[in-house]
Formats: sequence, C-alpha cells, structure tokens
Amino acid sequence: MADEKRAASPMDRVWNFFISVKLAIITLIVLAVTSILGTIIEQNQPPEKYHKIYEDWAFTLLDRLNMFDMYHSVWFLLMLVLFTVNLSCCTIDRFPKMLKVVRNPRTKLDENLEKTLSLSDRWKKKGTLPEWTGKYAEALSASFVKPRVTEADGQVHLYAETGVASRFGVYVTHLSIIIIFIGAIVGNVLGFKGYVNIPEGESVAQVPVRGGSRMQDLGFTVRCNAFSLETYPSGQPKAYKSDLSVIDGGRETLRKTIVVNDPLQYKGIWFYQSSYGQAGGATAQVAVTRQDGTPVGALALAPNEPVPIDGYGIVRGVNYDQNFQGNGPALQVAVEKPGKPAASFWLLQARPDLDRQRADSLIFSFGGLSAKMFTGLQVAKDPGVNIVWLGCALMVIGLIMAFFLSHQRVWVRLAQGTDGRVEVVLAGAASRNRLAFEKRFEKLQTGVKAVGQ
Amino acid sequence: MSNVILFNLTTVLFGVASALYLGALYAKNEKIAVAGTWVCILAAVVSTAALGVRWYESYQMGIGRIPVTNLYESLVFFAWSVNLFYLIVERKYRNRTFGAFVMPIAFFTMVFAVYNDSSIQPLVPALQSYWLHAHVITCFVGYAGFAVSAGVAIMYLLKARQEEAKISEGVVGLLPPCKTLDELVYRAIIWGFPFLTVGIITGAAWANYAWGTYWSWDPKETWSLIIWLIYAAFLHARVTRGWHGRRAAILSLVGFLATIFCYLGVNLVLSGLHSYGGG
Repeated sequence: MADEKRAASPMDRVWNFFISVKLAIITLIVLAVTSILGTIIEQNQPPEKYHKIYEDWAFTLLDRLNMFDMYHSVWFLLMLVLFTVNLSCCTIDRFPKMLKVVRNPRTKLDENLEKTLSLSDRWKKKGTLPEWTGKYAEALSASFVKPRVTEADGQVHLYAETGVASRFGVYVTHLSIIIIFIGAIVGNVLGFKGYVNIPEGESVAQVPVRGGSRMQDLGFTVRCNAFSLETYPSGQPKAYKSDLSVIDGGRETLRKTIVVNDPLQYKGIWFYQSSYGQAGGATAQVAVTRQDGTPVGALALAPNEPVPIDGYGIVRGVNYDQNFQGNGPALQVAVEKPGKPAASFWLLQARPDLDRQRADSLIFSFGGLSAKMFTGLQVAKDPGVNIVWLGCALMVIGLIMAFFLSHQRVWVRLAQGTDGRVEVVLAGAASRNRLAFEKRFEKLQTGVKAVGQ
Repeated sequence: MSNVILFNLTTVLFGVASALYLGALYAKNEKIAVAGTWVCILAAVVSTAALGVRWYESYQMGIGRIPVTNLYESLVFFAWSVNLFYLIVERKYRNRTFGAFVMPIAFFTMVFAVYNDSSIQPLVPALQSYWLHAHVITCFVGYAGFAVSAGVAIMYLLKARQEEAKISEGVVGLLPPCKTLDELVYRAIIWGFPFLTVGIITGAAWANYAWGTYWSWDPKETWSLIIWLIYAAFLHARVTRGWHGRRAAILSLVGFLATIFCYLGVNLVLSGLHSYGGG
C-alpha cells in the first residue's frame, strides 16, 4: 500500500481514500455513536417542549445542529452518502479482482503458492505418475470434489474447490444495502405518508401529508361506516375496529373492517388503524312512539340542539344526570309546541314506559347516551417498499453466503522423483472457518495417503 | 401459576450450574463440570416445559399467545436461548470451562426476571400479529449469540494476560488456548449477526404492516441499528484488517453492552414505540 501511495496522483489519492476499509470502519463507528444522540434527545417534538427542557443557548445550539430532527439533517444524510460511496467504491475496486481470481483459479501448486499454505503434507510412492494421478483424482472425487488435472513441466497438478459462492457473499451484502437505500429514496420521492381522522358516517377524498401543509388527493373516497372498541374483561383494550368503505367512481368498490396489524389497501394506498376518539359531544338516543305503541322514529339529541317533529313541536335535550334521584341515568327533555308553554320533564333510561304518565300524543323513551366516534388512520403510499424488501432478502442471502460457506481449495502435485518414486505434495486452504477446515483436511490427508496401500 | 414455579426452579438450576462450573474451575475437577452440564440440560428441559406451560395457561385464560411479550417473558426467553446456545458451544468445542463465564449471564438474567411482574397479561392490539413470533425469536437468538461472545471475550482477556506473563497455573490455566477463545468470540458473533439482521428486518416488516412505516428512528430501532453497526465494524476489522485477540474481545464486550442497553435501557430509560416491553 505504502509503495503505491508514493507515486499516487491526487485522483488516485481520492480513490484510495474511498476504497479503504479503514474509512468503512470509522464511518460505521461514527454512525453508531452519533445515532445515540437522537435517542437521548427526543426527536420531532414541538418547540415548547424543548424550551422546557433546555436553556435558551442550548436550545439554539441544538436547533442549529438540527439535533431535534437529526436523522433527516443534512450532516447525517451526508454521512450516509459517504458510507454509500465508500461501499460502492470498495465493491467497484475489489469485485472485478475477485471475479478474475474465481474465473482463473490457481490450479497449479507451484513453490510460491505452497509456501503461503499452512496446511500441507508430502510423501513418496512407488509407481508411475499416471497411475497415481488416477488414484488420487479418484480419492479427491470421493472424499472432496472432482479435481481439475493440469500437466506442466513434467508435473501433474490436481485442483479441487468448493464453496466459491462464499467469495461473493460480501458483495451481495453490500449490494443489498445500496438496494435498500434506493428503495428508501424511491419511497420518499414517489410516495407519501399522511394521517387523517374520519368521524363515523363521514368520508374523505384527501389526506393531510405528514410534516407539511400539503393535501394529498387519494383519487377515491374512503368512508368510515363505524368504529368500535373491544375490551378484555379486565378493561384493557383488545381490538380497535374500523368498518371502512372505498368509494371509487360513485360506487362502493371495497369494504373491510380493519384492525391494528390488518390494514386496508386500495390502488397502492394503505390505511392503518392508528387512533380513535370521540367526534364532538355525546348525543342522547330517544325513541318516539304513539300512544298505541306504533313507532314514530328515533331522535339523536345533541345538548340543547332543537329537533323538530312534524305536527308536534320542537324537542331538546336540556340536561343529563348519571344517577337521577337514585334511579340511574336520566335525560331531561324540553318540548315546545306551537301556542303552548314549554314543558320539561325527566326520562329514566331504566323505565322506558314512564312517559305514558304525561298522557301526551307522543311517548318518549330514553335509550342512553351514545358518542359519535372518529377513527384515526395512518395513510401511506410507498412504491419503494418492495425494493427495500428485495434488498433485505439479498442481505440475508449475502450474510449466509459470507458467513456459513467457506471457499475450500485442495491441491495435489505429483512429480517423478530422481529415485524413481513419485513425489506427492498435498496442500489445502480455506477462506474462513479455518479450524473446521483443519479437521476436514486432516481427514482428507489420512484418506488420500492411505490410497493404494 | 405453575409456569412461574417452573421458571423459579430454572433460576435455581442455572444458579447451581454456574456454581458447579465455577467450582470445577477452582477444584480443577472435570467431574464437577460434567455435573454442571447435566444440570444445564435439566434446566433446558424445565425452562422449555415452563415456556410451554405458560403458553398453555395463557390459552386457558382466554388470551392465548406466545410467551415473549413483556419484560418478564423476554428475560426468561433470553436466558433460555443463552443456555441452549451455550450447550451447543460446549458440545461443539468439547470444553466445559465456558460454562463458568456464560451460565452466570443466564442465572442473573433469571434473577432479574424474578423481580419483575410475572402475571400473564393480554396482548394490546399493537402486538397481535404473527410477525411477533419471528421478530422476537430472531432478535433474542441474536442477543444470545452476542452474550456468549462477550462471556468468551472475558475468558480471552484473562487468558491472554496470563499467556503474556507466561504462567499456566491456576484457574485461568484451565481455560482453552487463546486461539480457540479468539475464534469463538468471532464465531458466536457470526451466528448472532445474521439473526440480529433478520430480527431488524422482521421488525421493519411488522412496523410497515402495523403503521405503514418500516423505519421511523424510534429509540429501539435506532439502538438495534447501533448494535448492528458495531458488530459490522467488528466483522470488517476482523476480516480485512486482522483485528484479533484483545481488540476484538474488547469490541465484542462493547457490542454486548450496547445490546443490553438496547434490550433493557431503551425501555427503562427512553420512551418510544416499544414501551410495552418495559412493563
């Protein structure tokens, strides 16, 4: 390395900087250490909250450094870019060399190669070169892999290898990281993330995009038909359910009840159950019947909102008591009929027939309070997500190739010795897990040596 | 709850196994270590049964779910993984001295678990997903690999100091040679690393299915990435720059400290989406 650098042009120096593994290790550590900061300083909180925690000067400093949204800050993104450039340059630099080595393996065990191999053995055999070449080739095929035979300068070389793929594991892994980044960029550029509350019975065709004031057109309408909350006997929440309809081109094209972990997807846009709440005040449910028992209708009375009944008058709910004079929930109703003084009376939920006492033309019975709910939905479109999953799958494959396969090579060299015997050299090497290969080599050694005895 | 009784028994067994392995080192008696192995195997059976019983009992309570969903259960599952991972290493390397350094990790994890709420609680809606199984199991197998690596790294540091001083007596003299320890520090990580990777990926897939975002820089996610980066640095340093021995052992310990923080510290100190893991 040092020799190459001496004559290096500025361009080469830049290149050498980007292809160094030292840079990769430093970048990995720096990314790890700086990432800690964003877990200590809570991210993306409203400024008021930060002012409570930090002194003014500290707030200004942290804000200048984008510490309140550090993972999206320019400096953090630049580090990711440096990381990616480093990764790409390393791959561009090393991959062709690796390909060349793999395509043209050193099939001949010459003196120089032999010196570099820690596992080797030599012995002599009576007989002829072709005879032993055949026997050892057979032995290698049986206990290792079928060898390639090369003859040169009166010597015969046998070469066998397995697990070449392990050499590519690292490149597959590196490529996978770049693919994941591409997927993330595609998702950020072409997709959107939003959040919307839909009250029961209402629809939306647009959602506000997260982190901005823009509205995103869905291209169809989503209606929340109903929201419900299920609880365990202990009162802990069990399920949040939203019954949603998709209305596209004027008709309902899809209906699904979504829960957390089971979203709705339509035309590439996903709707996730995320939140819920009460939409506006509660309404009182009041059933209206005639004296003879025929139903007239059901009223939903909002507090003090007048509701007219044709040919009768105006009805309002004016008061509610959780436990009216020890008789349980009750609603106070005021009735105004044209030309008559306003009347007000209490309706007990527990006694729906009570209102008969009033001997009016209509009988009211209180069915309880009911709150209109809204469902809160995360809305997301991410065309890059499948690219990300492709990258993830490649990463796992790459790691398995790199860690659990080993490029194992075995050579046998045969030469006619001066004493008329055949000189045999056996040598081996493994790219990783050398301890395991040593054991395999020992076995192979005993096996090959014993051939023909 | 019979599962808790079985887990308490497991705690005792892990304690006995740790004591036997340590005792074997001090007494230089292999027979005591063999007894340690049998206690570990017994503990593996009892703790596996305990997990099964807890799973079954959750169904009897009408809230059937895998027992890996709160702090108590995750601690227990972590100890279970460490014990199993250890037994594999012991069998493969035919050396029982590792037990004295790895089994105490399982023991103290269980002791910590005993001080936490062991009741079976129903799953909140966010956790009701099949991704839960793949996510938690892969993460914890990864953690277990890092725990074994860290235990062996301590052995390495002790042994290396002694080898430098050219002493081969005492307790440390019984430890496997530095070369083996160094290799094992590395090999435990190359098992842990892919599992952590799959753990992060399944977590991302689940987050995407539950919230529509596969990565949101939540403290737990960020810390899992930090661990991943540390071990990635370890692997690069080792494979391409020949970081062996002392430096590799220290990096393995740093990685494991970060792992402990990701697992416990984030829930106990920081707030975020994984808050249910702290209860």
